[in-house]
Amino acid sequence: MNPQTVSEAAVLDALRSVMDPDLHRDIVSLNFVRNMKIEGGIVSFDVNLTTPACPVKELLREQSRQAVLDRVPGVSDVRVNMTSEVRRPPAPQTHRIRGVKNIIAVGSGKGGVGKSTVASNLAVSLAKSGAKVGLLDADIYGPSIPIMMRASGEPEMRDQAIEPVVAHGVKLMSMGYLSGEMPLIWRGPMAHKALQQCLLGVNWGELDYLVVDLPPGTGDVHLTLVQTVPVTGAVIVSTPQDVGLTIAMKTLHMFQQTKVPLLGIIENMSWYVCPHCGGRDEIFGHGGASAAAAEMGVPFLGEVPLDPAIRKHSDSGTPVLLAEPESASARALTEVAGALARQISIQAFRSIPLTIVEE
Amino acid sequence: MLGLPHQSATPAEIRKKGGESLTIRWADGHTSTYAARYLRGHCPCAQCVSETSGERLVFEEHVRQDVAIAAARTVGNYALQFDWSDGHNTGIYSFEYLRRLCTCEDCA
Repeated sequence: MNPQTVSEAAVLDALRSVMDPDLHRDIVSLNFVRNMKIEGGIVSFDVNLTTPACPVKELLREQSRQAVLDRVPGVSDVRVNMTSEVRRPPAPQTHRIRGVKNIIAVGSGKGGVGKSTVASNLAVSLAKSGAKVGLLDADIYGPSIPIMMRASGEPEMRDQAIEPVVAHGVKLMSMGYLSGEMPLIWRGPMAHKALQQCLLGVNWGELDYLVVDLPPGTGDVHLTLVQTVPVTGAVIVSTPQDVGLTIAMKTLHMFQQTKVPLLGIIENMSWYVCPHCGGRDEIFGHGGASAAAAEMGVPFLGEVPLDPAIRKHSDSGTPVLLAEPESASARALTEVAGALARQISIQAFRSIPLTIVEE
Repeated sequence: MLGLPHQSATPAEIRKKGGESLTIRWADGHTSTYAARYLRGHCPCAQCVSETSGERLVFEEHVRQDVAIAAARTVGNYALQFDWSDGHNTGIYSFEYLRRLCTCEDCA
């Protein structure tokens, strides 16, 4: 019996039944299927996703394999290679940082909610998944990222551009570097110029994600950010406590007014992990942020515990995600990073290009 | 929904006809066309609108007849900014504001 010939068209047809759960389109029309090879009954191809941190990677792999096996006669084996390429949303004519595909603003309503800790762990998690990641510490009031990432040394000037420091696989720049040990005592215009320099005057190179850790609240730095570069979207970190949330809403409204898409809310300090007994105590209440997110129609990206281990590793300069990757906290942060990457991919497909056409 | 900007204030296409006028086709299908002098006369900046009282200080009739849009650019994702031929350039026109400024028969 002659083995049935397997055609590329038949395989593609079968793969049209596999839908990306976020983009609501099949993986063929999204152009995710690449490098198809057919050797006898063995079919191999790449599925090129929009982020290496994709939470549904294994599901899509299995669905693709099954679809071809079930629907194409003559196929004996299917080899699916999952790859990824972070897409860039079509950007308006505002200065775009060359080579940087997505800019993610991390904000909070008030200080002390663990925004910088979350931002640095998100950056590390995305980098760990294989993405190229930069982290800009724009918190002029308390630039703390260099400590949390144990970034020794200072950025150097090369060819009139600042060369970022690299720590734990992430390219780092901090507004704190601009003043050394001294506090930044700036009026608005100085903060404005300093942030512009940190965005446009740094040799970021090729980045899939640039995470910007903003100061708490709303102010000059936020406005400069949204007016200088096309921000892909913003993430708000809040505690479950209602008062913290009420203030976080203000930050949400600011991003809404400046047309920055809201990628979601992260609840930090969701519960306390007792270092002695491992017991769980919800000191600030629990679930406030997810309720608020649902009410406002903003994605809820997940919750992170108040774990002494997170604090300890931040202080010693190795984010918990790397220091104790198997801990509940590290797993929670990895999940949040995956949920975030997913929202960014959705946003990249949803946005419409904003350009002014000359007639 | 807070997460999504309103279609009525989201531009789908922005066209500038020389320095004379600007046309925005909105995501809800509506189209607005603005003459240069009308836009210049509705500048929302702090020199044209009093910061304390919100009262308009510079009106269309104060603007030169032949004022033109020398350049237009987007501000982040949410607004437009113009360089006017009379040297003025400080106004940031949010898309919400521009939609409210629509002069078509249905809107006016």
